[in-house]
Amino acid sequence: MADTKISPHSLAELKNTTDDALGNYLRGLKFEQDNTKLDVRLAIGYASVIIAAATFAADYKLGWEATKTWTAVAVVAYALLNGAFTYWMWAVEKGCVFAGVREGKKISVASKTKKHDPTYYLTISSANSESRQITAPFTTWFTADGYFVAKPFQQWLASSVEAIGNADSKNALRDQRDEIASPSPEVELTPQGNGTVDASGTDGKSKGSKRSKRKG
Amino acid sequence: MFSALGNLQPRQLAAQILNFALVLSTAFMLWKGLSVFTNSSSPIVVVLSGSMEPAFQRGDLLFLWNRGQETQVGEIVVYNVRGKDIPIVHRVIRRFGGGSAPLQLLTKGDNNAADDTELYARGQSYLDRSKDVIGSVVGYVPFVGYVTILLSEYPWLKTAMLGFMALTVVLQRE
Repeated sequence: MADTKISPHSLAELKNTTDDALGNYLRGLKFEQDNTKLDVRLAIGYASVIIAAATFAADYKLGWEATKTWTAVAVVAYALLNGAFTYWMWAVEKGCVFAGVREGKKISVASKTKKHDPTYYLTISSANSESRQITAPFTTWFTADGYFVAKPFQQWLASSVEAIGNADSKNALRDQRDEIASPSPEVELTPQGNGTVDASGTDGKSKGSKRSKRKG
Repeated sequence: MFSALGNLQPRQLAAQILNFALVLSTAFMLWKGLSVFTNSSSPIVVVLSGSMEPAFQRGDLLFLWNRGQETQVGEIVVYNVRGKDIPIVHRVIRRFGGGSAPLQLLTKGDNNAADDTELYARGQSYLDRSKDVIGSVVGYVPFVGYVTILLSEYPWLKTAMLGFMALTVVLQRE
């Protein structure tokens, strides 16, 4: 992955290379990628292209007069499909670069960049928690002349996102993780003395059990 | 440069190709949409000769409207000679029929000495408004059409332009 050199001054290339690396990394961690959003976009897009191609073929073979009505219908259909395409990209995909499942837990990652700002903004939503935004400057994983280095990128992801850190313990730096990650809801329900149950997961016992799991 | 394409997943490659295909098909559908709106098979034409000088010069871009069936004497129309695919831009100098009878027109270029009887197909001495005329000129932009003349006189330019466009759209991922 460090073989391709990109221009470190082009925000689009930085973002696209990082997005691709993110996908490769997560797929390598055995996240099953869910391609539904992209598939729907491709379906809408290619449907409109096919309509345009059919109109072109009909016009080429039969001429203008014979195909006038069909062309009018096709133009309207094309405009509607293109509108749906744009809407899909803008409202539904919203910058999503990866959506997948691992061990039953869904994760959805959307990325964005702001103009003239060399920072990578990631919005991560898992099935069991709210969406969080994490950011890091591109310089964290790009060299000055434009080579992508995988290690710091993977470390940043594994330390900042619980689901990824769980999958890739080698890159997850434990102290950073415990600091940043919200308490895991799959903690065991600890019975209190007065008959109620404490599920907050913030007591020392569950943290300790996490730690011992890590060592083992 | 192309190695960037090789690293893409198949779906992403399909998405990049879709981008280029959408550029082409949107351009085509916009053209067809304008055709439907103006009811003309070719709503924008380029002046190829100097037969309408000083009104129109070679390379001018003309905008046509084909929904007015009662063409008057003095209007400038674009028509195809029967059997040939060359559009001619000339002025209507006589009309016969109209109303319930089919409208027939005689045309002549402003800069020509004779009327268009010589230009029409053999045996044809007038134009049929509904069949031969592509539309009447409602507006024009000077010089801009010269690009089209260049593209038709040097066909390799077309391939070069298309190839360049394809390259930039597929390799660019903005």
